[in-house]
Amino acid sequence: MDLQKQTVNAGVPLAGKAKTAALLSVLSMGLGQIYNRQYAKGILFLTVQCIYIYYIVTSLAGNLVGLVTLGDTPTKLKKVGKLYKNVAGDHSIFMMIYGLVALLFIVILISLYVYNVRDAYRNGLVREQGKRTRSFLESYSHVTQNSFPVILLSLPMLGVMFFTVLPILFMVLMAFTNYSAPDHIPAKNLVDWVGFETFHNLFYLKQWASTFYGVLTWTIIWAVTATLTCYFGGIFVALLIQQKGIKMKSLWRSLFIIPYAIPQFISFLIMRNLLNYQFGPVNQYFRYFGLEGLPWLNDPFWAKVTVILVNMWVGIPVSMVLVLGILTTIPKDLYEAAEMDGASNLQKFRNITFPFILFSTAPILIMQFAGNINNFNVIYLLTKGLPANGDYAFAGSTDLLVTWLYKLTLDNQRYNFASAIGIIIFIIIAAFSLWNYRRSRSFKEEDMVQ
Amino acid sequence: MKFRKSLVLLMAVIMVFTLAACGGGANNAANTNNAPANGAEGTNAGNEAATEEEFKPEEGAKLVVWDGGEQKPFIEEVGKAFQEKYGVEVTFTEVGADKSVERIITDGPAGVGADVFVAVHDRTGSAVSSGVVLPNDQFEEETKAAAFETAIQAVSNDGILYGYPKSVETTAVFFNKDLIPNVPATWDEVVKFAGTFNDTKANKFAYMWDTGSSYWGYGFFGGYGSYVFGKEGTDPTDIGLNNEAGIEAAKFIQSLTSIIPLKSADINGDIRKSLFTSNKLAMNVSGPWDSTSFKEGVKNLGVAPYPKLPNGEQMKPFSGVKAYFVNAYTKYPNAAKMFASFASSAEYQKRNYVLTGLLPSNKSLAEDADIKNDPIASGFLAQFANSVPMPSIPEMAQYWAPMDAALASLWNDKTDPKKAMDNAVQQMKDNISTGQ
Repeated sequence: MDLQKQTVNAGVPLAGKAKTAALLSVLSMGLGQIYNRQYAKGILFLTVQCIYIYYIVTSLAGNLVGLVTLGDTPTKLKKVGKLYKNVAGDHSIFMMIYGLVALLFIVILISLYVYNVRDAYRNGLVREQGKRTRSFLESYSHVTQNSFPVILLSLPMLGVMFFTVLPILFMVLMAFTNYSAPDHIPAKNLVDWVGFETFHNLFYLKQWASTFYGVLTWTIIWAVTATLTCYFGGIFVALLIQQKGIKMKSLWRSLFIIPYAIPQFISFLIMRNLLNYQFGPVNQYFRYFGLEGLPWLNDPFWAKVTVILVNMWVGIPVSMVLVLGILTTIPKDLYEAAEMDGASNLQKFRNITFPFILFSTAPILIMQFAGNINNFNVIYLLTKGLPANGDYAFAGSTDLLVTWLYKLTLDNQRYNFASAIGIIIFIIIAAFSLWNYRRSRSFKEEDMVQ
Repeated sequence: MKFRKSLVLLMAVIMVFTLAACGGGANNAANTNNAPANGAEGTNAGNEAATEEEFKPEEGAKLVVWDGGEQKPFIEEVGKAFQEKYGVEVTFTEVGADKSVERIITDGPAGVGADVFVAVHDRTGSAVSSGVVLPNDQFEEETKAAAFETAIQAVSNDGILYGYPKSVETTAVFFNKDLIPNVPATWDEVVKFAGTFNDTKANKFAYMWDTGSSYWGYGFFGGYGSYVFGKEGTDPTDIGLNNEAGIEAAKFIQSLTSIIPLKSADINGDIRKSLFTSNKLAMNVSGPWDSTSFKEGVKNLGVAPYPKLPNGEQMKPFSGVKAYFVNAYTKYPNAAKMFASFASSAEYQKRNYVLTGLLPSNKSLAEDADIKNDPIASGFLAQFANSVPMPSIPEMAQYWAPMDAALASLWNDKTDPKKAMDNAVQQMKDNISTGQ
């Protein structure tokens, strides 16, 4: 800014310079800058544009067309004499990815273009006021001094675009194609855009709709139940350990933490064998005491109960540790005051302990809820989504949306349905989390506890 | 001022010309970019002309082979022999026959797939329709002359041979001769035997198969005259699982809950194996892939065809042909074809039989004294004569999940057979139509 304050040219301000510069820059990147006598900058812009035009002509334009058409010549086998040769044609999925990359490059170009026009206009204004524009070196030092964070962050931003935004866009786009077995698997077959047909099938086509709504309902029930049972289970266990008169507290704590220390997939696979109706030890014990035993994993209802119970077993230790930590932060004098007023234990819990715990753990509770919607391990390792359900397409009675998605992609190649479900899962989690988080007291009153 | 304006105009014109020059350069570059591609095609054509005369592995070829984990010793042995003979290095990667086609569909075009992979023939249609396999052209005559006709049919599609059959498999009844001297000839006798042998409290059972599985359950349907995709297994519009014969089969399966009082989720291969090897299960349905481990666990092991159905017919289980396929995107098609042919030759099918107990798909080996005198192998080959090759059209992939669910609900929930089968067939139809 200090440079602009200096009045170098005291002559009559030249009217319309800003407009001319902006117009020239619209015509071609860098022209406005050169008109503004910022030659180095102008040439830099011009070079960038040249490189861009080169790539647009050689590949980007073709890639964009590919993104729209998703290919028109399928891969074929050509017979030459006795031998067949694979003549590679268009691979719709690769074309989609390349098209997306091209799209991102074009977005970058457009933003550069806008910046270039604005820059020309601004410097034109400076010249209209009769001031000298910055030289290249001055601009350079200005940028490195004032916009250093921008430069520093631009590289990670580029990374985010290509490694996070691009795959997500790719997944979203897949939901609007017919990319699925058996008839639309590249390379021999092309994939086409079908608009909202996949979503329509998912919501209205009998088999898919009944699966979708059934699995969705169970996913929500599961997420709510699993989160609440673990949360309150953890509080209960923590309070139990912290009771006055409990001896060997650290021993109990270690005992309760053990389920958390075993790798989940091992414990679930073991649980699956333990809970086998006929051959599992759990039911063998039941029978030893003359009881029938429970159809842990065989009956749709009991299988659901079982996954919630087993999830409590691995989830409660986490909440317990959390709550144990929070309990130590509650000021003792609050309890003393409560005792003076003759409060009962329940009243102390309701009015002191629980609000404290809830306040500190609300964000974690939301995260656990979102995590449970996508709790792949428990379901897939424990039940594989079974027991089978004749009314469902590619899903069993205990399948969550995420395990259904897994089966659709890896076992059945229904990529379009899977990505439609992926989008729906994302919307659900995002909506619940945002809504819940904005309602939580820790969002509203950030300064309540320091 | 006028001078300045004209200067600016001049510069603008120059810039636009420069841009045009840039564009021109780009066009030229594009052309030169295309040139090598054309050149490559030309040289490929040249190669083809050359291969007409002499078929040999490409210079510096290296092969990656996907096969099941239990095949590792076999592939390593074949690979060594192949390298000695042709100087082509062979690397083994574990991708089982049941997963290889799905993997190659994504990995093949991306250029990271195996050059040669094993697959069960029911995925032939899927592999062909996604364009990831090269036909078996160079060794077509040899292969056709050597393998069983059914095996050739199984790995062909629209009259073109794709696979290099390496083994055949079907399911039959393993039995423990100490518990039952022979597999009963009819199901009536099985039920009678179960009445004396079963003891649910002590976990003793007469006969067991995976009752919720569409693979193991098909034997009943085939035996009653039902079918999956038309009589030939090639017509996706004619699903015969809910016709009269199919419902009859479903009813019969349901009636067998009396001798296997377990839910289908409680029965799986591992549990059956542990019961079988601890003398608590008399008859265990399985395939040749289990013969090695069962031989270790059961002292007096026998294999026999399935018991006859109440209608007097033989059960017709699915049979499978495992075959090598050549990835259409391989860099070394010649070497890959040669290896596939080499590893599935009569000599190495015999070695594979010795090493891992796989049944050969080679006609002449069925007459081989070692295999003929092996009661296990000959038991399976007897059942193989009475089996139905799994359909190999791409739609076959839509059979498994709905049929699994139907069989499980028949078995566990005593669903009405007609309702269960109608539902399964409807699902298959829906699934086929939403995939189109």
